[in-house]
Amino acid sequence: MKLRKKGAEADIYQTTWQNSKAILKIRKTKNYRNTSLDSKIRKQRTIKESQMISQVKSFGIPTPLVYFVNLEKTLIVMQEIPGKPVHDLPESKIIELSKEIGKLVGILHKNGVMHGDLTTSNFILFKNTVFVIDFGLSQNTIKPEDHAVDLRLIKEILNSAHVKIMEPAWKNFLNGYKSIVGYVNYIKITKLVSDIESRGRYATVI
Amino acid sequence: MLGLGIESTAHTFSCAIVEKKGKKGRILSDIRKIYRPTEGEGIHPREASRHHIENSSSVLSECLREANITIKDLDIISYAAGPGLGPCLRVGAVVARSLSSFYKIPIYPVNHAIGHIELGKLLTGATNPLVLLVSGGHTMLLAFLNKQWRVFGETLDITLGQLLDQFGRSIGFASPCGKNIEELASTSSNYIMLPYSVKGNDVSFSGLLSATKSIAKKSKVDACYSLQETAFAMISEVVERALSFTCKKELMIVGGVAANKRLSEMLRDVCKRHGCKFFVVPLRYAGDCGSQICWTGLLESQVKQGTLLKDTLVTQSWRLDSVKIDY
Repeated sequence: MKLRKKGAEADIYQTTWQNSKAILKIRKTKNYRNTSLDSKIRKQRTIKESQMISQVKSFGIPTPLVYFVNLEKTLIVMQEIPGKPVHDLPESKIIELSKEIGKLVGILHKNGVMHGDLTTSNFILFKNTVFVIDFGLSQNTIKPEDHAVDLRLIKEILNSAHVKIMEPAWKNFLNGYKSIVGYVNYIKITKLVSDIESRGRYATVI
Repeated sequence: MLGLGIESTAHTFSCAIVEKKGKKGRILSDIRKIYRPTEGEGIHPREASRHHIENSSSVLSECLREANITIKDLDIISYAAGPGLGPCLRVGAVVARSLSSFYKIPIYPVNHAIGHIELGKLLTGATNPLVLLVSGGHTMLLAFLNKQWRVFGETLDITLGQLLDQFGRSIGFASPCGKNIEELASTSSNYIMLPYSVKGNDVSFSGLLSATKSIAKKSKVDACYSLQETAFAMISEVVERALSFTCKKELMIVGGVAANKRLSEMLRDVCKRHGCKFFVVPLRYAGDCGSQICWTGLLESQVKQGTLLKDTLVTQSWRLDSVKIDY
């Protein structure tokens, strides 16, 4: 098994599953964390991720197939999406795909799912389809505040990692999002995003 | 080049003299007087500013004496212009302005948070770090990109310092309470489940604060231990997220809470896993001090003329990601 990436909370390995290429995602023990807290977090997220990856397929979100889950070892074996993370694409492409990402997030929210970790590394472009991955922090929730937290996250990422293209990318994202959730919800959620931002430290209150 | 830096954003009034030669800086003196509220209470802005006014001249003269220089030797004066408590900020600004106008020395308003980072870089030798700024006023993860510090994650409500202080005060400590909590926590290993709230790269501490207050009724010691374990695990997780997202090879921790040993122990482990170098600002310069302000002012003086007196204002809410950095 080849180590592909040491992610924040899990290690990603390349492996095979019944003769096809697959990804093994394992949430290893973190020594710095208190043991009971650590095992609770790892278990919870493994369950959540494997459930959600399958659940969101039912309303058309492209995600990898889950092949196998081992709760004792907190690992998931899933289909490999051999594309590129949106984070690593050229800037013009990120701007263009932001609309599609906005739509995908809109579909998730419309169906009562919050992703919880919306970064440009968690969207993978493969053959003109954007796949969504990493559902470890996701939740079933229809609370507008939770949806707003999702939007704030991706905004924060655009504003830091992709600051040069922040404006067009964010505009495209919002347009895509609006086209799915509708004008009324769009206004409600974006208003909440400003509320969350204004609660932040030393925020400019307009 | 010789600079005087004046810090008065919160409970500390401090003056420092730093000498800059090329890229190197040497702290000649750093004198502080810290306002202590009564036990169980937080900073009262008016009382703190009164404390600063009463101590300002003695701190200033002591800092000059220790550095063995006179005001006339100074090339620049810088003061912390925000973010912070209005009444406190004004004391530092008034001292800086008076000296600047009387002795005709260029004056530089400095962002207090940038001060933490710049002095941290000078003292630790970090070159291109992911910065964790944890203090009473900030809980932020930052990386430098395109002439500005960019926020990769932060608290959505109260800061780590506030979490520790507000909890500490509720069990009778006086702010800052971090040290007392750390001491109590080290005597327990009984973990009680507390709310763990990580939202992507952001954290939220308010729910954790309420929950910890309620378990403290049973055992203060276990509460301190569980609070530290939970809050620091949250911080460590967002640090890991930001490290893996930004691919930085250095982590630097600055701010008052950087003094906590348990936190640096956890972060050291995080860095080991990601093959990244770990830098902690030296204990003496973790908290607020004049050297931070002075060094940042000296850096700014490389590319900027002093500020006009009429523009030497203070800003209570001044986010560091709005500061453009040209040096």
